[in-house]
Amino acid sequence: MIQFDDVTIGYGTEPVLDRVSFTIDDGDLCLLVGATGSGKSTLLGAINGLVPHFTGASMAGDVRVDGRSTRQHPPREFADLVGFVGQNPLAGFVTDTVEDEIAYGMEQLGVEATAMRKRVEETLDLMNIADLRRRALVTLSGGQQQRVAIAAVLAAQPRVLVLDEPTSALDPTAAQDVLAAITSLVHDLGLTVVLAEHRLERVMQAADQVLWLPGDGSAVLGAASEVLGRASVVPPLAELAATLGWDEVPLSVRQARRKVAAERIVLRPAAEAVPTTPAGPTPLLRATGLTVRHGDLTAVDGINLDLHAGSVTTLMGRNGAGKSSLFWALQGAQPSTGSLQVDGHDPRRLSPARARELVGLVPQTAADLLHLHTVALECQQSDRESGEPVGTTEGLLRRLGADLVPDRHPRDLSEGQRLALVLAIQLAASPRIVLLDEPTRGLDYPMKQQLADILADLASRGHGVVVSTHDVEFAAHASQRTVILAEGDVIADGPTREVCTASPAFAPQVAKVFHPEQVLTTAEVASRRG
Amino acid sequence: MADNPALPRSGVRQDAVRLSPRSRVLLAVAALLGALAFTWPLLLDPGATLAGDDLAPLLFALVLPVVLAVVVAQLTGDDLDVKALAMLGVMSAVVAAVRPLGAGTAGIETVFFPIIISARVFGPGFGFVLGNTGLLASALITAGVGPWLPHQMLAAGFVGLLTGLLPRLRGRAEIALLAAWAILASVVYGWLMDLSFWPFMVGGESTISFDPADGTLANLHRFVVFNLATSMGWNVGRALTTAALVILLGPALLRILRRAARRASFG
Amino acid sequence: MAAVTAPTHPWAWWGWALVAAATVSLTRNPLLVVLVMAAVAFVVLARRSDAPWARSVGAYFVLALVIVAIRVTMQVFFGGLREGPVLFTLPEVRLPDWAAGIRLGGPVTLSGVLFALYDGLRLAAIIICVGAANALANPRRALKNVPAALHELSVAVVIALSVAPQLVESLHRVRRARRLRGGAAKGWRAVTAVLVPVMEDAVERSMQLAASMESRGFGRTRDLGRVGPGLSLLLVGSVLLVTFGSYLLLGVPDSRLAGLACLALGVAAAVLGLRRSGRRLSTTRYRPDRWTWRETAVVAAATAALIVVLVLQGWNPAVLQPTTTPPVWPSLHPLFLPAAALVAAPVLVTERGR
Repeated sequence: MIQFDDVTIGYGTEPVLDRVSFTIDDGDLCLLVGATGSGKSTLLGAINGLVPHFTGASMAGDVRVDGRSTRQHPPREFADLVGFVGQNPLAGFVTDTVEDEIAYGMEQLGVEATAMRKRVEETLDLMNIADLRRRALVTLSGGQQQRVAIAAVLAAQPRVLVLDEPTSALDPTAAQDVLAAITSLVHDLGLTVVLAEHRLERVMQAADQVLWLPGDGSAVLGAASEVLGRASVVPPLAELAATLGWDEVPLSVRQARRKVAAERIVLRPAAEAVPTTPAGPTPLLRATGLTVRHGDLTAVDGINLDLHAGSVTTLMGRNGAGKSSLFWALQGAQPSTGSLQVDGHDPRRLSPARARELVGLVPQTAADLLHLHTVALECQQSDRESGEPVGTTEGLLRRLGADLVPDRHPRDLSEGQRLALVLAIQLAASPRIVLLDEPTRGLDYPMKQQLADILADLASRGHGVVVSTHDVEFAAHASQRTVILAEGDVIADGPTREVCTASPAFAPQVAKVFHPEQVLTTAEVASRRG
Repeated sequence: MADNPALPRSGVRQDAVRLSPRSRVLLAVAALLGALAFTWPLLLDPGATLAGDDLAPLLFALVLPVVLAVVVAQLTGDDLDVKALAMLGVMSAVVAAVRPLGAGTAGIETVFFPIIISARVFGPGFGFVLGNTGLLASALITAGVGPWLPHQMLAAGFVGLLTGLLPRLRGRAEIALLAAWAILASVVYGWLMDLSFWPFMVGGESTISFDPADGTLANLHRFVVFNLATSMGWNVGRALTTAALVILLGPALLRILRRAARRASFG
Repeated sequence: MAAVTAPTHPWAWWGWALVAAATVSLTRNPLLVVLVMAAVAFVVLARRSDAPWARSVGAYFVLALVIVAIRVTMQVFFGGLREGPVLFTLPEVRLPDWAAGIRLGGPVTLSGVLFALYDGLRLAAIIICVGAANALANPRRALKNVPAALHELSVAVVIALSVAPQLVESLHRVRRARRLRGGAAKGWRAVTAVLVPVMEDAVERSMQLAASMESRGFGRTRDLGRVGPGLSLLLVGSVLLVTFGSYLLLGVPDSRLAGLACLALGVAAAVLGLRRSGRRLSTTRYRPDRWTWRETAVVAAATAALIVVLVLQGWNPAVLQPTTTPPVWPSLHPLFLPAAALVAAPVLVTERGR
């Protein structure tokens, strides 16, 4: 169905893809994996010709979809053959209501009015969004928006669906919905799907094939259980397979449980539990009855929370559970009621400059804090703001392990690099508490590992660190304490080990494999293996 | 990526909307009609059909949309790049979003700023279309559709078009040029708007209104006096705010749009 | 009557409102003007939805009042009509010669004030008609139903309408985020610090939007063949005719017929030209607004009112232009009522907008 024939694509001199050839068969679900910057988006864009027609890259070789070559046809002529869905559905919406958005593509193709009417209805049913038909797109939740975006390209009845990290902005439940919808499309309609996804653990069981970009310009295509064993991007089950010496990667928790049972793997009882809150009689931060209201909506509802120096805490919960509001309130930037004490001061009553010396927040859209046109200028500005000697921020940035070109434009950085830059800027004020709002978005496994190390380092230097995330694997790995929010309330608070193994929605895969044993990571499995 | 978009600030302007010979002819005729629509109180003949009435602006309110439709359809017609169109939509949104930030009900001063900067980066054709789409979108959002809207669209369109035709300078000289142009454009825009709606606003039967029987010069004289007395301060204030915006925020916005233009490489 | 389900075509409301505006523009009789205004207001109140653009109608009423007030004030201070009974006298300031005949102060007469009031009321009514169209016609649907030649224009404006509120939102978000950096930037630097991230986002968004439109087939059905010289000639000719026609009506005495003919021809040529260039694009429309007999009836009702007033003008022009020197009570002609009733008639065939 999709045929890459000796394809080389590059921007400037360095090729991103170097003489790549492969074929994806009709009706397959192909999972595209690779580290950030390995060329995943380039490869996906090449399928319908956005690369090179739209992005201005140089390309050699030939890409054919159903026999149609992107050399001879611009992307718009692939609209009835390839449906393309990006990361941020809202940015790609042309109209403003669900129904109009679904019809938009067909209008462009000149589909006749009665046929269009029928197809809109079919598509609404197919994606299970008929009840949203008249809603304005901006009022939908992230998961709903993504399903509408998929429906909007499906209405043109393409044979291939290309998705570039469709779940990176979604909470686990919404992501599950979207991925379930995608897999059912493969099964029910026989669509060919190419899907790039960071959190492989969710989709690998449904994948027929995995296409791995090692990052050197080549591409490796093969069966999931085989390629994932070799790939540098390691989902938890692959890591488990490597630890336990299995040749084939189990693709689901069920497979792994059976294998564990078959091989009679038992774990020794855990050594004594790591203390979650390091000894220290007074907490660094104490919030009592903290409440945030946006109009009629109570985002944070009388929360009591203590934070101690030297520990990493994760904050989890659905989108809209109040995580961000809580962070902004703890920083003092969001008006709130209730009492708040950080190191003996209330950040709400301090000047912004003093408040950030107590609590530093890296917001979800970290780029909001950047307004200069090179990294070096941002660093200098940050030194001035924090009243620190010149070079402080740059030093911090190096300590965070980001080797940044100083004259790069901050907007041209990768997600991870930009996160590091903003974190360094906030650390320049040496805040006692560091809050990070969803920093794991768009990070691949090695980058998440690096982030976990950075957080551990910050904690060991005496900062109190809180990170909100949807990524249970990351939480299990990086934090000692987990707080779960729902509708503005704390519904669980305790050691990560207990909180995460107790609830299925927040349990990492390794925990599910060894349930009811309380085990979170493969490293632990290795150490506790009999 | 080998080329680093942050570094070079090359001065090449990208024409996002091309001006074909046919577009040029249409724009020239539209300019003629525009001149008529804005200065009609000076040209009105006492014996002409519309002389007895002060409804001439309403005639133009009906006629200008037809002409604007033809011109804009021509400009955005056959070879408009989809990237240019998306940019047009987003910049129109910027125009519409900054409009309420302008002071008071006549708060048009802020809209010239994004129009001038975008036209500088994306060229005269883009400037003309943005002037039209931007003011139309802002009128639809703020419910400002009225007989004055076609005049505003046309005027803003020409501000954009002429911005795109300014000589190529760089650095401080460019900002100075744009600021001077912003002052000129705002003052002239204010005058023309006042002139064309002068009889409409004050009525035909007062001594500060125009009288077709008096001839062009006498009417112009009276208009100048009237305008100095009533809305000169307003016009000058508007001109100075626009220029201040260009000087203070212009460099940053120019840099952002030039970067976008380089990345988009309109085809 | 059968249940009306489909919303009224937005351009039908515009047609109705513009014809109603033309009707009031023919008269200065305040009784007829107020009757038509009331009819228009009645239709708006009965048929508008609760969308934001529909709620804006109040602003037009305020504007209408302001226009009347300005007219009357100008007449009081700079009045040119000094005949008839004097109401009161303002101290007169003698202006030097360069003031070009402008008179400030002096006697204020009932005739002058009444004339200004009548004239202002007529303009106010026109403004209210436009406001009514604004309130009744959904702007998005109106944009969806433009001729195909203006497809790109309508796409750009539709994008602008959905992006603008999001821009305002991101403005608030970035402003709040400034505090996280200590808010050290002051004055215009602080403005730049907010402006830059918002604009970078907006520009990035336009790229993503363009990619999405392209891969969903935007512009695919456009015929890229050469445009024939006939079409070019037609378009240029239409614009020239319209310009010339306007000039005739304004600057040349006794050219009413020639001017109107030029205008009509020019507009017809423009419509034809737009239609022909629109045929180069063959996109279709999802659930288009249909122009049914109801839409025709809406516009026809207003047109009938216009005809009634035109007939009256031929018959008895004085009743449409009541004299204010000397001030007399304007007469109420029996045909005023049917004219106003016809303007209000669309409520019978339409239903409240959603």
